[in-house]
Amino acid sequence: MTASAPVLARPNAAQWARKNLFNNWWSGLVTVIALPLLVYLGYRVFLFVFVNAQWEAVTRNLTLFMQGTFPRDQQWRLIAQVLIFALAFGVGAGTNSASTRDAAQDAGLKYTKSTIVGTFRRMWSLALFIAILLYFATLDPAGAWYNPFLLIGAVAAVAVLGYQSKRLPRRVRNLGWVLTGILLVFGFQVVSGFDAGGWVPVGLILGVATYMSIPEGRFNNRWVALGVRLAGAIVVALVVRLIYGVVDTTGVGWDVWSGLHLTLMVSALAIVLAFPLGLLLALARRSTLPALRWIATGYIELIRGVPLIALLFMGQYVLGFLLPEGTDFSSITRAIVAMSLFTSAYVAEIVRGGLQSLPKGQTEAGQALGMAPPTIMRRIVLPQALRAVIPAMVGQFISLFKDSSLLTIIGILEFLGVREIVHAQADFRGVAIAETLVFVAFGYWAFAFAMSRESQRLERRLRVSR
Amino acid sequence: MTSERNPQVYADATQSKGDEAVIECIAVDKFFGDFQALYDINMKVGQQEVVVVIGPSGSGKSTLIRCINRLEKHDRGSITVGGVELTDDIRNVQEIRRETGMVFQSFNLFPHLTVIDNITLAPRQVRRAAKDEAESEAMKLLERVGIPEQARKYPGQLSGGQQQRVAIARSLAMKPKVMLFDEPTSALDPEMIKEVLDVMVELAKGGMTMIVVTHEMGFARAVADRVVFMSDGRIVEVGTPEHFFTDPQEDRTKLFLSQIL
Repeated sequence: MTASAPVLARPNAAQWARKNLFNNWWSGLVTVIALPLLVYLGYRVFLFVFVNAQWEAVTRNLTLFMQGTFPRDQQWRLIAQVLIFALAFGVGAGTNSASTRDAAQDAGLKYTKSTIVGTFRRMWSLALFIAILLYFATLDPAGAWYNPFLLIGAVAAVAVLGYQSKRLPRRVRNLGWVLTGILLVFGFQVVSGFDAGGWVPVGLILGVATYMSIPEGRFNNRWVALGVRLAGAIVVALVVRLIYGVVDTTGVGWDVWSGLHLTLMVSALAIVLAFPLGLLLALARRSTLPALRWIATGYIELIRGVPLIALLFMGQYVLGFLLPEGTDFSSITRAIVAMSLFTSAYVAEIVRGGLQSLPKGQTEAGQALGMAPPTIMRRIVLPQALRAVIPAMVGQFISLFKDSSLLTIIGILEFLGVREIVHAQADFRGVAIAETLVFVAFGYWAFAFAMSRESQRLERRLRVSR
Repeated sequence: MTSERNPQVYADATQSKGDEAVIECIAVDKFFGDFQALYDINMKVGQQEVVVVIGPSGSGKSTLIRCINRLEKHDRGSITVGGVELTDDIRNVQEIRRETGMVFQSFNLFPHLTVIDNITLAPRQVRRAAKDEAESEAMKLLERVGIPEQARKYPGQLSGGQQQRVAIARSLAMKPKVMLFDEPTSALDPEMIKEVLDVMVELAKGGMTMIVVTHEMGFARAVADRVVFMSDGRIVEVGTPEHFFTDPQEDRTKLFLSQIL
């Protein structure tokens, strides 16, 4: 179906077909055999999707797939989260776009404005997924989660609003990044609650921002500058702590999250944790200190030799023996730890590859200028090494995202696991198995494909500056 | 191989311009595994002196100047730069590197940074210079090497000659007392060699102390105070350009000159 459609659509279809499908006898033979097969396969897919499939198993359980057993009276938190994340992505995209534009203009490079069409080309798999959700929601409004059209409209409006950060003057451009970071944390906390250690990430972001925004050059003495900057950072962090102490609302802890919501959150958290850990491991493995090197190498080889599923089980059953008495973590926390530890070993090897690919002359140039080894690493080696490994790194993260489906085996209700509840319902016991599988698989694909497309864009854009 | 010292060469190599030696190498040996790359190198370079090192490839020229800023570690003997002896102490090494600029054959600019960021990186990170100061200083240096209009571009957008001039500016930004040039024009297309050599000539005229490893004999003739000829890891002959090119003493020198001139 998909293969033959463009052939017929072209005005010079005959020429195209002769050139590409029948340019010699064996190519013609392959075409003659493959084409009917493809057409037949397309026909069967069409038949399944549009005629035979009983999508009620999905449409009536849309809410379940999206948010699992999340307390229904707390749904507003999820809506708030979606909106805050949309705002965060809008602000991030706007700031990113503006700084790319400035850099390109400074360097006299051609700057191609990102367009809606371009965004759609990268995100069409997600758009398709959302469109299908909307369609299903209209099929069975009772099964839908909130009013999907209202929600989408609000998301779009908020994202566009955030994108206006593009208009921020260049002087305060970094404000956009700070805002993006804080919004991401808020989006998370609006569900998990603003209590306990919740002030830490926001305090950290604002503290670092304060530190960076006090110009060092204003002070004559390096130590005075350091003191003032540190004092500013600490004061800001303490204020954040104070505010959090006053607000202090409990939310819905992640041990009761589930469905696609849980899959996305767990993957995002594991990625955020695995990246810095992997980076440190890669550096440790290349360290000149033997003890550090041995520990890192041992860790990496050990973790890479164990299947993820074994690590997940160990997180549930073995972690308790290693931790002091009385410490208790929810199984989701354990799973996130296990997934981060697992992925960090792979990230470490990917980063190590990037470090080794860098010409020796780069380090030598830094050394010859009298720079200290940590400075050379931070300013010269890492920025280049990390750019070089974006494709491999994103591949690893996509893999992590899909592997989160293994959580279902240790009794955590993630996107794939929701199927088991659905098929425990009286109406769908033993029926529509294929339908729910196809739907879930399509959901994973939509996100993974968008990630892949986004990483390709990132690669292209960073190569421009070389 | 035992190395017998030629007293004349020793005298020429250690007789620097002026009274004070900025760089002093005493009996330096260097090994790569079992292979000995440098044999008994004795050399002094004086204030504002330009020393050009020539010799066939594999003769140890690059190794010698790479030992002077500790990109390679010498195994025996001593190297003193600006009165400080090179030791294993990393602070000491960094101190010497700050006083010693180096220009590489392959430029080694940082491709992820713009030209101006390439130049200001070290002053800001090492000397803790303020951003504005470092940038205005960098612009002056770019004007000196003749490409101020390229400041916001990336190295990949520049020609080889322009890149090498940025590399020179980057080294000068640290205000070094000595500049080391490791075959700075060998990777350049012929039409770009002159623009780099011109910058180097200007630098020499301005009183910079320089050690230049090069195959550009014209440059050696025009600018060098002394020419050092190396072969097989040894200093074979040292002399003023007039003396060296018109009346070489050693057979190895004569052979080399006959091959390249």
